[in-house]
Amino acid sequence: MKGHWFNRVLIGLLLAVCFTWLVIPFALAMLWSLVDPNHPWSYPEILPPALSLGRWIEVWTTTSLPQTLVNSYALAPSVAICALLLATPTAYAFGRLDFPGKGPAQILTLVPLVMPGFVVAIFFSSLLFSLGFYSRFAGILIGHTVMFLPFAIRILTVSFALVRQDLIDAARDMGASPWAVFRAAYLPVLRPGILAALIVVFILSIEEFALAFIVGAPDFTTVPTILYSYLGYNFIRPNAAVVSLILVVPNVLLMLLLERLLKGANPASITGKG
Amino acid sequence: MKVRQTLLAYALLLPGLGLILVFMAFVLGMAISQSLGFFNFSGESGFSLRFWETMLADHQLWRSFWYSLRVATLSAILSVLLAYPLALWLRKPFAWSGTISALLKAPLLVHGLVAAFLYINFISFQGFLNLALVSTGLIERPLRMQNDANGIGVIFLQVWKQMPFALLLLTGAVQAIGDDILDAARDLGANAWQRFRKVVVPLTLRAMQGAIILIFIGAAGDFSFQVVAGPTNVNSLSQFMYRIQETSVDGWNSAAVVAVLLMATALVGSVLLAGAVQLLSRLGRA
Repeated sequence: MKGHWFNRVLIGLLLAVCFTWLVIPFALAMLWSLVDPNHPWSYPEILPPALSLGRWIEVWTTTSLPQTLVNSYALAPSVAICALLLATPTAYAFGRLDFPGKGPAQILTLVPLVMPGFVVAIFFSSLLFSLGFYSRFAGILIGHTVMFLPFAIRILTVSFALVRQDLIDAARDMGASPWAVFRAAYLPVLRPGILAALIVVFILSIEEFALAFIVGAPDFTTVPTILYSYLGYNFIRPNAAVVSLILVVPNVLLMLLLERLLKGANPASITGKG
Repeated sequence: MKVRQTLLAYALLLPGLGLILVFMAFVLGMAISQSLGFFNFSGESGFSLRFWETMLADHQLWRSFWYSLRVATLSAILSVLLAYPLALWLRKPFAWSGTISALLKAPLLVHGLVAAFLYINFISFQGFLNLALVSTGLIERPLRMQNDANGIGVIFLQVWKQMPFALLLLTGAVQAIGDDILDAARDLGANAWQRFRKVVVPLTLRAMQGAIILIFIGAAGDFSFQVVAGPTNVNSLSQFMYRIQETSVDGWNSAAVVAVLLMATALVGSVLLAGAVQLLSRLGRA
């Protein structure tokens, strides 16, 4: 069949394109991060003359990378928990209640997604400045929480809508306390959504650049801002390679975990009926 | 009872939606009032159109404006144009289709700054591309491709990063089209191009417009791709806003003017582009 043959060529072509634009760049980043600091990789050598973990050790011991990781990985879970707590009431209203103006309200939650990041960052910092608020950690925490609330609200709304009213009613009829109703009817359905919201907000916060860069400047660094300092005007290629890998690898692993979680979020598999 | 439930719902919206709206209103309010001379950190505060007048007469601002507009428009259109055939191709599962769609969507997981680094690492003077071209004898000396003056690198990066997003939205929309309607069109004698114009595009218009709007807004406000891989002789609007805030005497006020202009560009531009697409789709149906 002609179509079959054509499809095969397309598949091959696409795999080749993906290879050049995913595998090779990452392999190069890996190589650059492993270049031995004493044997620089210079033109026209095809491969680096010597490989070692020297660059990783050097970046770790001479730059502010350890502090940066502490900053990023303290900030992101805090943002995730704050966003979860603040999103839950709104998501409950969207998922389980009917009220006038629900449609427009749901659209309005998306406002942070259409605001240019640098406008928010610069004028949020100007707002903090005029209020005399100088804690960089708290500033970024507030900014990130608000910017990523729409994601948490959206995910939790879907979860709340999946909770079955008959289960809630049945639990109530049998005299369960509100807490017991929550545990029996809500929690099993909400759990994957809660985890998904936490992971999504966590990743978004680790990756956010504009606000962390502007509000955190000059001394509060996060992983993207330290990566930025190795790009741009003073391009330090091996350092950028190291930080790139530190930024990408954990988040990709988390995303894969998330995908698995969301697949398991099928309500039938949780409640045991169709 | 009804009233109480409604009030309860509105109260529940306060910590989530309420917070978002208050925050955004304050940020927006700060930008607009600083552009009009209020809330100055030094000197007198008070209403003045001075900043608007000087900024709008600034030749560099307009260069940035047209540059950002061009990059955003091209990125949005190219992403959607590339995503459509792929979405249609992946409509029905086949051997390898899962792998291919996962590979195509992989850039969504890669941070923008990392993507920019990978790109300049690839094309730089001592990058893979130059080495490959030199060692195969296609060119004699490495080419200088970094920070090209036309912003091709930035558009490439935007498409690399945003096409998967358009693909995600379009795949959902394309898969929602029933087989029966496509079969009916086929029975009526419509060829592939006609089916695309008259069935697929009208039924996926909303998803396409969503993708165009979000990609346009993202690309219009781009900072990191531009700084790392963009031309050095022109700034994007975000870059210009950041630079002028840091360096000029009336930094905050001038940056506020650029901010208002940037938001207007993003909003008006994306809506116009979405409108143009709708018009095109209507013409295509005729």
